[in-house]
Amino acid sequence: MANQTLLATSAFLHWKPVKALNFTVEPRETLTMASFAAAKGKKDALAAAIRAAYGADLPKGSGRVEGNGIAFVWAGPDQWLAIAERKDGRDLESELKAALSGIASVVDQSDGRVVVRISGSDARAILAKGIPVDLDARAFKPGNVAITHASHIGVILWQIDDKPTYEVALFRSYVDSFAHWLLDSAAEYGV
Amino acid sequence: MRIACPYCGERSLDEFLYSGDATVKRPDFASPTAANEFVSYTYERSNPPGMHRELWYHSAGCHAWLVVTRGIATHAITSVEVARDVALNEKPATKDSI
Amino acid sequence: MATPGQGSGTGSQPNRLETGGLVDRSRIVRFTFDGKTYTGHPGDTLASALIANGVSLTGRSFKYHRPRGILSAGSEEPNALVELREGARREPNTRATVAEVFDGLVARSQNRWPSLDFDVMAVNSLLSPIFVAGFYYKTFMWPSALWEKLYEPAIRRAAGLGRASDEADPDTYDKATAFADVLVIGGGTAGLAAALAAARTNARVILVDENATLGGRGVDDGADINGNPAHEWVRTVEAELSSAPNVRILRRTTAFGTYDGGTYGAVERVSDHLAVAAQGVPRQRLWRIVAKETVLASGATERPVVFGGNDRPGVMLAGAVRTYINRFGVLPGRRAVVFTNNDYGASTVAALKRAGAEVVALVDSRAQISDEVKRIASEAGARLLLGAVVTGTLGKKRVTGVTIHTRTGEEERLDCDLVAMSGGWNPNIQLTTHLGSKPTWNDKLLCFLPGTLPHGMSLAGAVAGDFTLGKTLVGGTSAGSAAVTAAGYAAVSVPVPKAADESDAVAPLWRVKSPNGKAFVDQQNDVTESDIELAEREGFRAVEHLKRYTTLGMATDQGRTANVNALAIMAEITGRTIPQTGITVARPPYTPVSLGTLAGHHREKHFKPTRLPPSYRWAKENGCVFVETGLWLRPSYFPRPGEKDWLETVKREVTTVRNAVGICDVSTLGKVDLQGADTAAFLDRIYMNGLKTLPIGKCRYGGMLREDGILMDDGTVARLGENHYFITTTTANAVKVVQHMEYCAQWLWPELDVQIVSATEQWAQYAVAGPKSRELLQKIVDPAFDITDAGFPYLGVGEITVCGGIKARLFRLSFSGERAYEIGVPARYGDALMRRLAEAGKEFGACAYGTEALGVMRIEKGHISGPELNGTTTPRDVGLGGMVSTKKDFIGHVLGKRPGLVDPERPALIGFRPLDRSQRLRSGAHFLKRDAQATAENDEGYMTSVAYSPSNGHWVGLGLLKRGPERIGEIVRAYDPVRGGDTLVEVVSPVFVDPEGVRVRG
Repeated sequence: MANQTLLATSAFLHWKPVKALNFTVEPRETLTMASFAAAKGKKDALAAAIRAAYGADLPKGSGRVEGNGIAFVWAGPDQWLAIAERKDGRDLESELKAALSGIASVVDQSDGRVVVRISGSDARAILAKGIPVDLDARAFKPGNVAITHASHIGVILWQIDDKPTYEVALFRSYVDSFAHWLLDSAAEYGV
Repeated sequence: MRIACPYCGERSLDEFLYSGDATVKRPDFASPTAANEFVSYTYERSNPPGMHRELWYHSAGCHAWLVVTRGIATHAITSVEVARDVALNEKPATKDSI
Repeated sequence: MATPGQGSGTGSQPNRLETGGLVDRSRIVRFTFDGKTYTGHPGDTLASALIANGVSLTGRSFKYHRPRGILSAGSEEPNALVELREGARREPNTRATVAEVFDGLVARSQNRWPSLDFDVMAVNSLLSPIFVAGFYYKTFMWPSALWEKLYEPAIRRAAGLGRASDEADPDTYDKATAFADVLVIGGGTAGLAAALAAARTNARVILVDENATLGGRGVDDGADINGNPAHEWVRTVEAELSSAPNVRILRRTTAFGTYDGGTYGAVERVSDHLAVAAQGVPRQRLWRIVAKETVLASGATERPVVFGGNDRPGVMLAGAVRTYINRFGVLPGRRAVVFTNNDYGASTVAALKRAGAEVVALVDSRAQISDEVKRIASEAGARLLLGAVVTGTLGKKRVTGVTIHTRTGEEERLDCDLVAMSGGWNPNIQLTTHLGSKPTWNDKLLCFLPGTLPHGMSLAGAVAGDFTLGKTLVGGTSAGSAAVTAAGYAAVSVPVPKAADESDAVAPLWRVKSPNGKAFVDQQNDVTESDIELAEREGFRAVEHLKRYTTLGMATDQGRTANVNALAIMAEITGRTIPQTGITVARPPYTPVSLGTLAGHHREKHFKPTRLPPSYRWAKENGCVFVETGLWLRPSYFPRPGEKDWLETVKREVTTVRNAVGICDVSTLGKVDLQGADTAAFLDRIYMNGLKTLPIGKCRYGGMLREDGILMDDGTVARLGENHYFITTTTANAVKVVQHMEYCAQWLWPELDVQIVSATEQWAQYAVAGPKSRELLQKIVDPAFDITDAGFPYLGVGEITVCGGIKARLFRLSFSGERAYEIGVPARYGDALMRRLAEAGKEFGACAYGTEALGVMRIEKGHISGPELNGTTTPRDVGLGGMVSTKKDFIGHVLGKRPGLVDPERPALIGFRPLDRSQRLRSGAHFLKRDAQATAENDEGYMTSVAYSPSNGHWVGLGLLKRGPERIGEIVRAYDPVRGGDTLVEVVSPVFVDPEGVRVRG
């Protein structure tokens, strides 16, 4: 028995499904994630390598682009978070280490962060209860990224579409507190 | 108060940490007068009225260190610069490599 | 002509007018006041409903317990403070003038016993000589010992206004942030005109108003706009704004504070007008509104006149009288005397007349008034008494008449049941002063106007001194257009609504000299004009001193009806001008904000976010007791059935680790991944000890200092590759260390090639400690990896796999002093790994241990932790002086060598045990020489950490003792006056277990 493999545990073990008329919350369970940062003097080389390998132009400021099944999310100055579905054994840490050898440092974040997808026409009003960033359609659009906090929990937030749909990445240990805040905030909207 | 992070845009004060004077430069530890220079660098501040150049950290945002020029009586902010860029511009060229 | 209802259609509301007002007469709501049931209509405030029912006595005053009624019709109300609701929802000091009635509302008067009608404390009125200004400071001064036991409880019982509920608040509260191009504060005619002008450009507009319905004074005065009643124009504008997607109207919302950067605080009373908030809906919401431009249209508050008995129920602000008639359709009195110093007296006379009241007289302190005012008075059949003043009121719980001092010096009595008074208007400038701007005095309007405005703020309407309806519409429209242009939108031309400009002429009248009876300046705090004279005589002439000495301008209304009169009287007494006398500075909040609203959903265990470690679920299943460490909930100890207390449990956990093997979740330690060509050089500048020589595949203990030479944090540094390091920090300092490293990398040494990434949450990390730890690990580490002592010695680190290919990191580190490892796996496997270790550990007698046992074992080994890393200690103080590099530059190097920090007299870390081994030790005890007196001069340091040591069978301690390491064998006193401890202790080595360090290497 000793060397039977270990089973992964969901970070969202205590979550209940959230479905209201104009609001849905959906954990994204099966992601592979890695952060990468340009080595000194290698910013251009990094951009070129990503363009060559994935056909994506790394956002220089806060933004999100996609290429070859990977979303590249700006995660701070000269730093990005790469996110992809963890299927067919895809592992972004090893994939990016190979692609970016010598030009960027790569760190596995598949377990450190979790991603929640929040969608629906009530999403803006609900998120406004903890996220102090202007998410109005005029100010924040699909492809935009904000690193901020949600009720004192650090998050990276980006918009996917105009429904609007957002995704929020947060550190794993905060998941239950984040859920508490989100459900409290959504209670007014029939959740 | 709101600070316009050069990376993230305007954000509220609660995303930032204040971290003191941005005009002092860390002395050379090998200087013969290092002891006095470090005391001055660490402790001595004249607190003049008017505009200050201050270090702020976008702790709940992008983690960039910033140099903010701010009126300490009015809280008016006239510039926000990326600390790394300020530091690189101010470093003597010889120190660029180690 | 409207007339008071005499039965038909208004139920039992004798003072409800037959027609008029904006309440919903088609529906009846029932409420109680002091146990008696009354009816009102939706749209009523508690005050208007009480007036409709002929209730004029609503409470007793703060100090003198004088009968008080309703003075105003707004949030400035000083008198009509009531307790609303019951049980857990009981809320004291609520203004009846803003509380909306609803079916089932329970309201009670305050500050009276046994009843409002008969209040025994009214005897205070007879004692009034001792309740004068400064009475808190003058009375009850001696003996001081009685203050806490006698005076304060007695004063609180006698004087405390309402009673707060002592049950937990059952309601929920909410917070939200909103952004606007143009924020309009105030939904009166000026604010509505501004919002309309701004909204038509498609800019994002937020309009906040503290009332349930919009319209402000224009509606209250029953004026006409564009030839129709003002409320019709209001309804049209409101409809347009409500349907515009770019506009948000927040009703029942008070903007209470101005903050830097166009930020405003506001409270939305979402559900206060309902019996109980709807499911999921908060009671109140705290808004942070960030606006590019703000139009402040906060209106003005009417000033009372200071005359004798001006606090008697039935004496009301003239504007409030018009509000009750026009907005609520209730008549506050049948026989009215109007007392004024300005032309608004005329509109009050007209409104009363129109409502069917008898206007006995218009008493105007001015000798000359316009023909128009004279005409209105004469049409209403009111006597016109010019150059006259009201000196006093008659009656007890309700005014029955007034005494007049006529222009010719005669005294006259007039019968009446209502005195409508107006001393002029004070613009509501508070939000303009919150950032420090000083208001300016206007001699023509006799009021303070805003001084320099906060960046991005402009004014419209009465707050700007535009008191007349026509001007509010002109000013509002242009302020709205200007603001929206400044916010970057092309202004759209908006026609200005037409309205007449009534006369706003006014002449000074701050108080009536030689009043008949007490003349109140601040009714909420029972401050009279003679209190101001007394304060002046006793030297408290500056307005800030006046406020603190008399309590004028304090409490829920913040002196909105009191302050200007008070300082005008002070100016008069001291022979200075009003600007010379000055004004007290207003700070947020403009009106009271409940603590629940400020807390939002951050209450009880949700006060802060909680972080759960990877083994949380398993620990909970196994009966773990948790402890909060920062935001983390960490396993503290794991009691088993039959164990009588935590100490027995902890002893068992320690003994298990020392004799077999234990498992502890250490995932909460900060973990940082550092990569880049200059990482070694970078770490060398951050840590006090040398790290350049650390071989790949090894780890080393490291300490970092602040620039002042004091220890900041400690942890381990592992080298995973040529340019790849992985460091740990203490749990408490994980965030601080990353911040510090980023400071160094971005600001001090930006030329270095180093990339810093927090990896704390990526890894579930468990300490596996004890003589059988390797055997346990052997059960899960894949066979390809050699973890024998030869292949994986002390301080080794390796990237391995466990359980058939799960990637992992293994560190051979020990905090307990036993052979020990830390094993890390990706966090999603953390729960499973904990279960696997517990299962596989059974054959070795393994147990899980928590922070208590961890702490005991580190104390037994003399390892430092939080109590020693306390922001005052140097490496030398805690026995790490030998680690500090003398060769390289690192943070803290230079200042750490200062004489004071290397003084051999400094207290330094050493061990202690009680001379009588049965005695317990306490951290915090101070060390004294055995025979020394317990004085501060003789203090030689203090105990930092203590534990019962199962390995030694007695208590052991670590402490900082002057020249400690030189004093082994000495007996000193551990003196603990706080808990009454005084123990003789022996100075010993701080390492109580395995001093040779054999076990850790195996």
